[in-house]
Amino acid sequence: MTRKLLILAAGAAVALASGFIMTAPARAQSGAVAAAMSAGTVGEQADGYLGIAGTVGADVRSEVESINIKRRAAYTQLAGQRGVTVQDVAAATGCQTLSSRVKQGQVYRIGAGAWETKGAGAIALPGYCATAG
Amino acid sequence: MNKRTIMMAGFAGLALTGCIQVKAPDKPIEINLNVKVQQEVVVKLQRDAQDLIQNNPELFPQ
Repeated sequence: MTRKLLILAAGAAVALASGFIMTAPARAQSGAVAAAMSAGTVGEQADGYLGIAGTVGADVRSEVESINIKRRAAYTQLAGQRGVTVQDVAAATGCQTLSSRVKQGQVYRIGAGAWETKGAGAIALPGYCATAG
Repeated sequence: MNKRTIMMAGFAGLALTGCIQVKAPDKPIEINLNVKVQQEVVVKLQRDAQDLIQNNPELFPQ
């Protein structure tokens, strides 16, 4: 009984420790991406991915790439569940990020257009973004 | 006189060629419902997208 508990406790400790090792740097890096978003050098795109709008360091660039790879994986999974294309899911997510996540002063891009800075009003969304939802 | 005959000939020509033909289309008329279906897909996906963003905050820094 006690032995089993000990093993369980040890296992939990290892899991916790490895969890900290895994998450601590990731948090620091996405903090750098958030800072770059505030600075207007990284922004959301209507295609559902992050884009680089200005000059950024290698750490920010690699974290943006990493986030985009993880986003693509999440989009692919959802697309499989709903029987739609990955682009559909990515575009729907892009509608959401542009309508409710991009803050005033942050930059965003629709299609291959120029980077725009969000003003006080709502972003003019692409026509395929549904108003409901 | 000459002008008149030319005009008459012209009218005769019009009468021959100017009749309107109504033809039934040889293909069935298609009503495209894809637009509505597509819109529904997008609306449903918007909710899924909202959930996806909320469930993966590390992928959506602000």
